[in-house]
Amino acid sequence: MNDHRSVSIVMIEDDEGHARLIEKNIRRAGILNGITHFTDGTSALDYLFNHADGPARNGPALVLLDLNLPDMSGTDILAKIKSTPALKRTPVVVLTTTDDKVEIQRCYDLGCNVYITKPVNYESFAQAIRQLGLFLSVIQVPEIEGD
Amino acid sequence: MIRRAIRVFGESEGAIGRLLIACMGIGFAALLAAGIGAVSTTMRNQAHTDMVNHTYTVKLAIAHTQTLIEQGETARRGYLLTGDPDYRHNYAVAAGQTGPEIARIARLTADNPAQRQNLAALRPYLRALLAQRAQTNAQVAQGARATALDSFVHEKGARRMYHIRRVLAAMSEEESRLLAMRDTEQRNTVSAFYGLLAGAGVLLVIVALLSITTVQRYTRDLAESRDTLRDFADSLEDLVAERTTELTRANEEVQRFAYIVSHDLRSPLVNVMGFTAELEAATVTISALIDRAEQDAPEILTEDVRLAAREDLPEAIGFIRTSTQKMDRLINAILKLSRQGRRVITPEPLDTAALAATIRASLQHLLDDRGAVLEIAEPMVPITSDRLALEQIFSNLIENAVKYLDPKRPGRIIVRSRREGARAIFEIEDNGRGIAPADHTRIFDLFRRSGQQDQPGEGIGLAHVRALAYRLGGTIDVASELGRGSTFRINLPVAYVEALTTRTERDPA
Repeated sequence: MNDHRSVSIVMIEDDEGHARLIEKNIRRAGILNGITHFTDGTSALDYLFNHADGPARNGPALVLLDLNLPDMSGTDILAKIKSTPALKRTPVVVLTTTDDKVEIQRCYDLGCNVYITKPVNYESFAQAIRQLGLFLSVIQVPEIEGD
Repeated sequence: MIRRAIRVFGESEGAIGRLLIACMGIGFAALLAAGIGAVSTTMRNQAHTDMVNHTYTVKLAIAHTQTLIEQGETARRGYLLTGDPDYRHNYAVAAGQTGPEIARIARLTADNPAQRQNLAALRPYLRALLAQRAQTNAQVAQGARATALDSFVHEKGARRMYHIRRVLAAMSEEESRLLAMRDTEQRNTVSAFYGLLAGAGVLLVIVALLSITTVQRYTRDLAESRDTLRDFADSLEDLVAERTTELTRANEEVQRFAYIVSHDLRSPLVNVMGFTAELEAATVTISALIDRAEQDAPEILTEDVRLAAREDLPEAIGFIRTSTQKMDRLINAILKLSRQGRRVITPEPLDTAALAATIRASLQHLLDDRGAVLEIAEPMVPITSDRLALEQIFSNLIENAVKYLDPKRPGRIIVRSRREGARAIFEIEDNGRGIAPADHTRIFDLFRRSGQQDQPGEGIGLAHVRALAYRLGGTIDVASELGRGSTFRINLPVAYVEALTTRTERDPA
């Protein structure tokens, strides 16, 4: 991803602490892409679909999505992203505390690309995020159509 | 209320039953009396007919005798007048029959003193008459017809005949009297029989009416009671359904609550642990700085700074870590427990003895280690239930039994079962250290443990077992004496039945 400087990471995470820890560990993995953070679903959707710098209008992005949001469920955002032609190829990484089998299945059914359960143990958590960072550094993100 | 209704109904049922039996008894008695009456009347009728026949036979014999006497007289007179031997022959025939006929009458009326007396009176007259006739006939035969005629003129035959006729008439009269008497008797018997029949008939009608009314009333009562019972049953069913729904809803709410709480507690815990780790990393950096400062410029360091960096910070972080780790375990336990309640139960026929044997095999190493034996009292009651849940119940209880054996004596654990109606009772008995009576209920609560805390554990196992037992529609309790051993008793339905409302809901996140 270092080669694709334009790919921005959109992090939708209501817990400030989690967001900070995720960001720290991603940076430690050597990922330097811009991270835009949202703590609620409404403003995140607004950014994704309407903002001038948002992925729908301006280039490729990767979404880090938490499922527990104060105003809506993360699965709603996932469904909206995957049902919009401009955004449906945008990779979505679900990063949440839930390890309920049914929930995981539902996310993959909706088109989520990766599902990661946040380990409570911090060492595991940090490692998982760093591995995600390594993963992000090699993953190819499709260009937005018509861009 | 239902019980009272049934009891009242039962009492009236008994009374009605007794009344009906009494009615039937009376009815049968009436029929029996009528039957006996009919038989006796018929027998008496028969006897009467015989007697009437007898009377007529006697009367006929008397009439015949009279005719014979008259015929004899006519023949004699004919002979006397004409001397025609035919008359003599006729006379001989009539006279010859008279004796036997009288003898027949005597035989027939042997039981009647009046007739015997009459016959006794008749016999001299007859003898004299016959002698007289024989004499005149003999005279005619010898040719002395004039002498015969003369003696006929002078004989007092008319008077004798008068006597004979009177006696014979009296005898006939006597027989008629007897006949009339017997007829009256017969009429009386018949009317008595009719009376008896009428009485029995009336009684039967009364009994029948009484029975019909009683049965009708009883049927009506029965229908009413049935309706009442049905109403009760309906309302009871509604009540049960309502309660079950409420209970299921409450249970689901608790499950959901446990799930959400445990789930939402995890998020802040991730932060606490994460930033503790960050702190730890920072502490390492600071410690390194202190080390360098100690070498390069020890004058800037105070004892407080050294202590803070090398002891206070690592100690605080250590406590935070162990506490958060424990909290994590507890939250996971709650999560596991709440998941258990939401798990779909798949009942299947289970060989419980084999199931227990499998658990014994998996614990064999531990059993050998502690020098304990596990006995399975076969045959075990087979049940239809969830395999995984029952395995977890058994293995938790057996593991506990092994864990809390008394080191002072060789361990002995017995698994046994018995059936009570539609329930199967499983018992896991040990001779371990036992549980204090105050803790018998408490040990099933989450995070609660009993006795000396010398074994690892969080106090989750028994709470888990109880949740599983409830989930399978069963109960669990314990009987135990401190220092003697414990017996855990699980009461499960022989065949698992899903609760009225199915768990289709699932909580997102």
